[in-house]
Amino acid sequence: MKQYVERYRKPTRILHWVHLSAFVLLFLTGLTLFIPQLGFLAQDSWSRVIHRIAAVVFIVAPLVYIPMNAKASLRGIKDAFTWNIEDIGWLKAAPRYYMLCDEEAMPPQGHMNTGQKMWWFMVLVFGAVFVITGLIMWFGKTTVPATLLLWMVFIHDIAFIATGVMLFVHIYMSVVHPLVRPLRTGAWSSMMTRGKVPVEYAKSHHGKWYEELAKAEEATDK
Amino acid sequence: MDKAILYDATKCTACRACQIACKGWNELPAEVTTNRGTYENPPDLSPDTWLKIKFKEVPKNVGIDWLFTRRACMHCTDAGCVKVCPTKALYHHEFGFVAYNKDICSGCGYCIEACPFDVPRSTRNLLTGIAKVDKCTLCTTPGLDRIAEGWEPACVKTCPTDALMYGDRDELVADGKKRVQALMSKGYTNAYLYGERELGGLHILYVLDDSPEVYGMPLNPQVSAATIAWQDVIQPLGWAVGGLTLVGLGINYLVAREAKLTKELPGKREEE
Repeated sequence: MKQYVERYRKPTRILHWVHLSAFVLLFLTGLTLFIPQLGFLAQDSWSRVIHRIAAVVFIVAPLVYIPMNAKASLRGIKDAFTWNIEDIGWLKAAPRYYMLCDEEAMPPQGHMNTGQKMWWFMVLVFGAVFVITGLIMWFGKTTVPATLLLWMVFIHDIAFIATGVMLFVHIYMSVVHPLVRPLRTGAWSSMMTRGKVPVEYAKSHHGKWYEELAKAEEATDK
Repeated sequence: MDKAILYDATKCTACRACQIACKGWNELPAEVTTNRGTYENPPDLSPDTWLKIKFKEVPKNVGIDWLFTRRACMHCTDAGCVKVCPTKALYHHEFGFVAYNKDICSGCGYCIEACPFDVPRSTRNLLTGIAKVDKCTLCTTPGLDRIAEGWEPACVKTCPTDALMYGDRDELVADGKKRVQALMSKGYTNAYLYGERELGGLHILYVLDDSPEVYGMPLNPQVSAATIAWQDVIQPLGWAVGGLTLVGLGINYLVAREAKLTKELPGKREEE
């Protein structure tokens, strides 16, 4: 049996890091309009120009990825909207699992556990919200009614708060939480150069997914 | 002590000297416009036109009423623009006006959208988003600050009929009320002092010989629901949610690390 299994293919890893970079830039430049003390950074529109450049990357990256990886994209989108009773099991076990590191409490998880699925769902939904409200504010600035523009900022802000907070959680869960340490054997390695995680990690964190993998391998071996 | 401008519409002859004085003092270039068959010119406020007189013709039983109103920043106490300005380029002057520090304007344009009187204007590149807002600063623009010198604003200084007065707001409110009373006793029963209470009190007061509607002024101007929902609900919520999340993650880290250490090294922990 192999010692490592692939978790994310190369195009997915590239999309992840490109999109993350764009999002962090968007987050920071957006922050200059959210925190008055950072307002000086927004002087003369420059943070808003960077915001637009990053927005282009944020929009174009998935548009390039999706047609080139149609099957994976479709499966990913389907996953985000597939919820069932097993997700309740995760929810029940989550406090014991994440607070007390009680790995026995957690039922075996698929390729994405329920928490990851929630984040992925938010990325899809709020990503669309960001793009729609953002494009209206960008290109409708002089033509769309003022009140509508203000509501667009309002909605953009809700998406900003929700995904901004979840970004902290995402970073924390993937590189800081004791259960994913040390980094080279944890979730971190799934997004790094080889996209692989140790079999041990796959078994303990994504048991259901690992079983599917093992079965598929058996089938091909026969 | 708040200061204000009192504009008496019944004394205004629409000579537009105030428009010229405003441009002259604030070094704003003239705009090339076309004849639209009216004396009203330029047609609208712009980054280079912070003040203009608006003309309105209202049909009467015999002939028409030719009404004039002053279009410029109203310098609200409860100012939507100040509320939304992310860089605090728009702020309240010690005399209550809405002053403006153009250098730190980010060009976001939220003030344009939040203004109940549709006053701020911007030069804007729609593609890059590079923009700067402009509006009347009541002659408090740094370097061109007449108020700091103890002078009247340029528009007031130049007004030949004293339709514009500058002074303590309380005194001007009292004066305006007297004028409205006088108009009422002369048969102008709808006479109204605009700006006394609107939006917490405007720093431009209007003596009108008819209801504000007739003059085309908003009857009950309000800071929009979108502005309030965004500034008073969502922004504080953002701080609360963000703060709680970071604190929560911190607590989780301490508890979870302790739990994991205990699990991994039970013997060693007990020895300690």
